[in-house]
Amino acid sequence: MHKVWAIIRREFVERVRTKWFWISAVLGPVLFAGIIVFQIVQSLGGAVRNIAVVDSSSAGLGQRVVEALEASGSFRATLVPSHAGVMDSLKDVVESKRLNGFLIVTNDLVETGRAEYQASNLGMQTIETLQRTLGRLVVKERLEQKGVNPTVVDWAQIRIALDQKKISRGKTVAENAAQSFFTAYMMAILLFMAILLYGVNVMSSVLEEKTNRIIEVLVSSVRPFQLMLGKILGAGSVSFFQFVIWGVSARVLLSLRGPIARALGADPASVQLTLPHIPLTTLAVFIAFFLGGFLLYSAMFAAVGAMSSNEQEARQAQQPVTYLLMISYLSILGLTNDPSSTFARTLSLIPFTTPIATPVRWTAGSMPTWELVASLVILAVGIVAVTWVAARIYRVGILMTGKRPNLKELMRWVRA
Amino acid sequence: MPDPVIVDRVTKRFAGHTAVDSLSLSVPSGIIYGLLGPNGAGKTTTLRMIMDIYEPDSGSVRLFDTVAGGRDHSARIGYLPEERGLYQKMRVLDVLVFLAEAKGVSRRAAREKALEWLEKLGLSDWRLRKVSDLSKGMQQKVAFISTVLHDPELCIFDEPFSGLDPVNSQVLRDTVLDYRRRGKTVLFSTHIMEHAEKLCDRLCIIARGKKLIDGSLAEVKRTHGGQHVIVGFNGSQGSAQQIFADKKLVAKIQDFGQQAELELAPGADPQLILKGLVDSGARLAHFELASPSLHKIFVDLVGPEAATAAATGGGSNGGDARA
Repeated sequence: MHKVWAIIRREFVERVRTKWFWISAVLGPVLFAGIIVFQIVQSLGGAVRNIAVVDSSSAGLGQRVVEALEASGSFRATLVPSHAGVMDSLKDVVESKRLNGFLIVTNDLVETGRAEYQASNLGMQTIETLQRTLGRLVVKERLEQKGVNPTVVDWAQIRIALDQKKISRGKTVAENAAQSFFTAYMMAILLFMAILLYGVNVMSSVLEEKTNRIIEVLVSSVRPFQLMLGKILGAGSVSFFQFVIWGVSARVLLSLRGPIARALGADPASVQLTLPHIPLTTLAVFIAFFLGGFLLYSAMFAAVGAMSSNEQEARQAQQPVTYLLMISYLSILGLTNDPSSTFARTLSLIPFTTPIATPVRWTAGSMPTWELVASLVILAVGIVAVTWVAARIYRVGILMTGKRPNLKELMRWVRA
Repeated sequence: MPDPVIVDRVTKRFAGHTAVDSLSLSVPSGIIYGLLGPNGAGKTTTLRMIMDIYEPDSGSVRLFDTVAGGRDHSARIGYLPEERGLYQKMRVLDVLVFLAEAKGVSRRAAREKALEWLEKLGLSDWRLRKVSDLSKGMQQKVAFISTVLHDPELCIFDEPFSGLDPVNSQVLRDTVLDYRRRGKTVLFSTHIMEHAEKLCDRLCIIARGKKLIDGSLAEVKRTHGGQHVIVGFNGSQGSAQQIFADKKLVAKIQDFGQQAELELAPGADPQLILKGLVDSGARLAHFELASPSLHKIFVDLVGPEAATAAATGGGSNGGDARA
């Protein structure tokens, strides 16, 4: 055990010492901070828009539009009477950034619900507010034309606040559909990347020992299986450490979003960004399947490294393993769209696809607990079987030089 | 005390050929033992079986009087394979500590010993540098340190002198002799007979996986080849070749030009040869009664073509390692 521990430590220390580890460790939080700042800046930009209202209507509709826009709190509106060449001069003003855009109001607004908005930037939020505000105004105008009391109209217009909640395994969770989709999607991507990156790490580490021939000294003191195990666990703990760094820095950045918002001159309350709510059980499922998937795939990658004698050979030989992992990656959209389809259920019951498929289905919230347990058992059996085969290939392969074995020879190694 | 290494009728076959064929040998404690043979004779395979890297197809290896293989005794054995690899991107000290830990040495002891050895071989200033920054000679030293750092009772070196410059060869020879002085056992393989002749107490010559002869150096010399005469010329050889060609006097000759090694015919008197040479007008630098050189025995045993292959260093050592 002492020997395995020494191998784990070497693998861990040497990898953490590389600059690539720290580049990716820093890149994660930087990206996350970027997202936060981006969202704050967006909410800033969407605060108050400076627009002009060109009134080409006959009944002073423009003035009422200006009042309604001002009342919405999202716009500072100026009334501009319509005259020849007004559009061109306004375009110049927009060009010079003193105005965000201008709205052209004609009698059509009330009669057919048509208006025109020209702006340097057609932000979603601006358009939505504009449409909503104009819509309310038009409804009011039309009702008044039919003789309805304006106060009644005002009273009748009410905004619906739809409180979205998800039912997950019989419990109501404060989370909306977009959020759980997002969480499941991010998880799948993370799992795929981590398993692939760190699995390939195991492979290149095996290959390194083989090409520099240190392997012979190692296997004279350590059992090949101990060596393979130490390598896999070492690389695994590095990736785990990477996740911890990302997780902690994301948490810290999130708790700092208030000060960041203030520093950027925004109202902290207006910053909507929160991490999607991830219950502890989901986190546990994620970790369990990440570890399982990593063990499964890195054993295969270790075998690939052992049977190759240089980088090119290894790159070729790893393709079948990578394709196996790609199947689940390519199915992510299908999985998140309908997590309870037969397709999704099948994927979560195959050892090679379950490491990604099952956490996605679980997060999307439609997986019975017994299916989760079944997936775990299948994964565990898969790990034992794959590791057994990989260890036999590894044992023979690490001392092999010369040409790569074909499938028949591989079978012989496994049976030997 | 039983011998620390006992190899009993081991056979190892690889796809297509038998690398080691029912080989037995026994290495007594406290001596230097040479495993000699041309390239491809099965030396590396034999050592690998002793180290438990390969499993023999039949036969058995006993180390320190147990059936457990070399791996389980790794803390008592220093094994230096022919191809000495190191982690190129690791620091020198870290590599040494790791390799010692892999043998079961505690981290602290490994560190202490590593620093001691680096100091001894003049590599102290390099301990925090990457292995790839070191010259080839320095890397050889580091590999050597990693073999002996844990002060093993038994050292197994596979072709230890290959690729060493004269200075490092001397360091290695000194260490090997020092080991014997301290009562430790050294088993090494080589195809260079001069090294073996100078160092070995006992030896075993193998070819094509089979043992040809083994025993102490003196025994081997006694049992193999009769009396030898070494003749050195100083300028003119006169008609010496006529004497050498006389089958009644000389059984075999190895002519090196200014020197020749003669194996006397049975019952021949060396005095007659000396007289003949003087009469022939040859100018002699020296005339010596000798036991045959190991090189001579080796050539006689394995055949000239195999010996030539050994001398030029061809062959396919460790090429096909299918277990």
